[in-house]
Amino acid sequence: MKKRILALMMAGVMVLGLTACGGAATGTADSGAAADSGAAADSGAAADSGAAADSGAADSGSSGGAVRLLNGKPEIDNQLQDLAKKYKEETGKDVSVETIGGDTSAGDELKKMYQADNMPDIFVIEANQADTWDGMLADLSGEAWTNDTDYELVHDTMGTIGFPYTVEATALAYNADVLEKAGVDPASLTSPSAWKTAVETLDSKKADLGLTAVFGWCAEPANLGWSSGTHVFGQYLDAGLKLDDKTYIDLLNDGGKIDEGRMKKFAEFIGMMNQYSDPELLVDGTYDNQVKGFAEGKYAFVTQGNWINGTVTSNENYSGFKMGFAPYGFDDGFDTIIAGPPSYWTVYSNGKVDDAKAFLQWVSEDSAQNILVNDAGLISPFSDCTYAAADPFYDSIKSYMDAGKTSGWHTMLKKDGLQNVTCQVFADYAQGKMDADGFVSTMAQVCSSYYAE
Amino acid sequence: MVDNAVGKRLLSLLCIFGGVALVVAALILDVSRSNAPYRGAFLVIGIVGILVGLFIFPTLKYHRALMNFVFLFPLLFAFLVTVIIPLILGIRYSFTNWDGIRFTKEVGLENYTKMFQQPSFIWSILLTFLFVVVNMIMVNLVAFLLALLCTSKLKGLGFFRASYFLPNLIGGIVLGYIWQFIFANVVTNITTALFDNRYSMLSETGTAFIAIIVVYIWQYAGYIMLIYITGLNTVPGEILEASSIDGANPMQTLFQIKIPMIAPTITICTFLTLTSAFKQFDVNLALTNGTGSVADFMGSYLTNGTEMLALNIYNTAVIKDNYALGEAKAVLFFIILACVSILQVYISNKKEVEL
Amino acid sequence: MGKKEKTSSVVWRFVIATIIAIYVLFPFYLVVINSCKTTNDITANPIGLNGVSFTQLISNLVDVINNTHFLFWDAFASSLIITVLSLVFLAVFGGMAGWVICRNNKKKWAMVIYFTFIASMIIPFQVVMLPLIATFRDVGKFIGISMLQSVPGIVFAYCGFGGAMTVFILTGFIKGIPYDLEEAASIDGCSPEQIYFKIIFPLLKPVITTVTILNGMWIWNDYLLPSMMLGQNGRVKTLPVAVQAFVGSYVKEWNMILAAALLAIVPMIIIFLIAQKQIMNGMIEGAVKG
Repeated sequence: MKKRILALMMAGVMVLGLTACGGAATGTADSGAAADSGAAADSGAAADSGAAADSGAADSGSSGGAVRLLNGKPEIDNQLQDLAKKYKEETGKDVSVETIGGDTSAGDELKKMYQADNMPDIFVIEANQADTWDGMLADLSGEAWTNDTDYELVHDTMGTIGFPYTVEATALAYNADVLEKAGVDPASLTSPSAWKTAVETLDSKKADLGLTAVFGWCAEPANLGWSSGTHVFGQYLDAGLKLDDKTYIDLLNDGGKIDEGRMKKFAEFIGMMNQYSDPELLVDGTYDNQVKGFAEGKYAFVTQGNWINGTVTSNENYSGFKMGFAPYGFDDGFDTIIAGPPSYWTVYSNGKVDDAKAFLQWVSEDSAQNILVNDAGLISPFSDCTYAAADPFYDSIKSYMDAGKTSGWHTMLKKDGLQNVTCQVFADYAQGKMDADGFVSTMAQVCSSYYAE
Repeated sequence: MVDNAVGKRLLSLLCIFGGVALVVAALILDVSRSNAPYRGAFLVIGIVGILVGLFIFPTLKYHRALMNFVFLFPLLFAFLVTVIIPLILGIRYSFTNWDGIRFTKEVGLENYTKMFQQPSFIWSILLTFLFVVVNMIMVNLVAFLLALLCTSKLKGLGFFRASYFLPNLIGGIVLGYIWQFIFANVVTNITTALFDNRYSMLSETGTAFIAIIVVYIWQYAGYIMLIYITGLNTVPGEILEASSIDGANPMQTLFQIKIPMIAPTITICTFLTLTSAFKQFDVNLALTNGTGSVADFMGSYLTNGTEMLALNIYNTAVIKDNYALGEAKAVLFFIILACVSILQVYISNKKEVEL
Repeated sequence: MGKKEKTSSVVWRFVIATIIAIYVLFPFYLVVINSCKTTNDITANPIGLNGVSFTQLISNLVDVINNTHFLFWDAFASSLIITVLSLVFLAVFGGMAGWVICRNNKKKWAMVIYFTFIASMIIPFQVVMLPLIATFRDVGKFIGISMLQSVPGIVFAYCGFGGAMTVFILTGFIKGIPYDLEEAASIDGCSPEQIYFKIIFPLLKPVITTVTILNGMWIWNDYLLPSMMLGQNGRVKTLPVAVQAFVGSYVKEWNMILAAALLAIVPMIIIFLIAQKQIMNGMIEGAVKG
């Protein structure tokens, strides 16, 4: 027993000693660390990470000179593996594809990979993450593909850094067959009143139409926070606006301010979605059940984007219905959907830059676009792409694009991690813990305190 | 014999000098920023060489001291690099604006004052304390009752004991997912029938907290039970016999003989549950990941309803990228745990004197 | 009368014990049966046996094992290598360190080391994990061997973190070995290292079993350290990290997740069935001594 006391006293003394003479004690350790990280930072990490890349390659043996691509979309993982095979076939060069996604944020994992000197050569980022990698991304301007697209990501100091690998659209995806049967014209859904009548009509004919609910909307926060907190929230930021209109994202990024009038209308619209949504799904559903329900014709609308196409069409109970997008018409005349690249592929400037550039150029060309468009169901951001997208949403998206009725993905420019707090507000609203006014005031408070942190 | 000694000395010197040469070479390579991939191998082989050299160095006078050094070195070195140096650095970093890679300025106590201005952090602390207290009582109670059951006359004792212990074998992450399944698919059927509540327990802060407690008891009670069984088995049979001859009923035996006699065991178990509940991380992460809302706490709306201290630290640093603040919170966590340990020693010491 | 009451209370106890056992084992039952179903059968009835088939189990297991997020065999092999290496190093070096500390318990330096070890047992992992990554990154850069996302790095870390408890338990045991034994050997001309390896180490078998069980359960199941050091997309993944990465991907199909969970817990349960007594005793000893 005596020893235990002694041990604890030791512990106490140790802690005190450490804190007191922390400065002195850390002197040596620090200088070592400082010298090293200094080297990494100042002399342009190239030397250091080069060594690490070498030893990494030595470790993993066979994957010797492969360009490593970190993908953030698990649903196209298989197709990207095919893409890598095709590239090997055509050019003899190796590309290895790694995938992170879903609950795990690729951004968080990339930070760990950076610390471990295990960076991929090409990796996915969202627009607001560019600053995290300031000075570490290669400038891609002058590449041939940049002439064939308007969607590349340009950064103030690093130049053209992002390769758009897809265009995605999100709004309220609808089941065209159901709407037609119910006599609802999706093109008319551009105001709250039009929505209200349409939803009430659909709800009254639920049994005939085989619907479980009008909306397949899920506000579960732990696993689907990206859907409510980023995508649906994005409609507040962009719905009804021109592609380059940044009014509300700028307001938000100015210390987390929101426009209460707009938010109130948005809240009322979400309230309608809550009311007519499948209660089995609304509070604690999953992405899989949400998409499955839509594919099986149980919901007229679903709050996802065109990335669900593969999952929907491969469902065994999918009847072959047509689909498209209707705008979040929470105010009169809101007739746009959000479309554009939600994320980009960037090239790590200390990686195999030339090989990576060559690969990206190849991806923008015919044989790769064939795989991405026809197999993976992506919509090509390249104007010279000859393939009509296999995406069943394509016609609908194209009509919005042609009419210039697309809004931006500015939700990707909000402060990183904001979705983790806003999604909780959606969840509480869905559970009926607050009304529309409560939603607005809570949202205002949550945003401003998140920006203040 | 003499030749042997000379040979040994030569070999040993060879090892030492070879080792030193390799280490020096490796260091030179490092300092000159060469990227020779074998510098690491040089360093490691060099150090091993020096140690082997010292080990076989034929000297009588210093042999013991050399042996002590060689024997202690590996573990102590690992311990210093993984525990002591990071601890010192960590405490130091908590007073700076460290971002996980480097720091540019001293901020004094700013991180420490900042964390107490975060309602979400205060909530995490209070929640953790509540969790610890509830668990300490519940786990010990359940475990003690199980131990009584398992020390009584019972068929299939071995089987019961082993099955109660079984959950303890499984890691928190896997276990968390298994229970997530149970709460989402099985428990909802029960709650729908009983309370007409079809939502998963995990979707509401209060019930999610209860869910974490249930899982924790399920995992931990079997282990604590084993310790109580050991304690109960040390109660001498004669005393129990004597008491039953004196006409004491089972309740009297329990409260007047068994419990006082296993007081040290109770202390051990109490503190074991206490510290492990404090450190709870895996189940919290896998079950709710800290989600859950609190409508109004200290005037603000919280979104981390079930986030306990350990998870809060992780999220602050790794997810929200605020390393210095996370480290300051971790230091506070350390201080709390140190106080608990001191209390434990104090209490068990006092008890010992009484006995 | 008295006797009858006794048997009835025995029966009661048995019933209660059985009910509790059913409750405790129920999650395991759910894991097993639902790994043998399709997702639709699970949603239809998660408790019953409808839709359970062996072929479905095999197909679920094959799907999980071949899943690119999970890579079961890689993860299993990494977990095994990391655990075994750490355990061997801890046992060997822990015994050596414990013995030196014990035999010098009159000397100040040995006591300082000993109490530093013990005191460090209260340090929570959270306080060292962030600077640990930084330290390991710098050390790795310095020596040119990556310490993060590599097996040597994490084994080294486990030796450091497991060291305190290992030394503590081993010293407690070595104290009990009579010193006469060593003195006699010393008079016979044995050098200290010979004494240790020939006399002491063989005697440590029971306590090394205890230490190995305690460390083994911890290392095999540990999540936070490998997730920080290895990452979910690192070169090396342990089983808990792989399970997390797998569940974290969009594929929220419970039959797959439970099949993955089954794969992760089966090795542990097999070992438990083989060495039940040692494991339970080891856990008790660890707790009572710690």
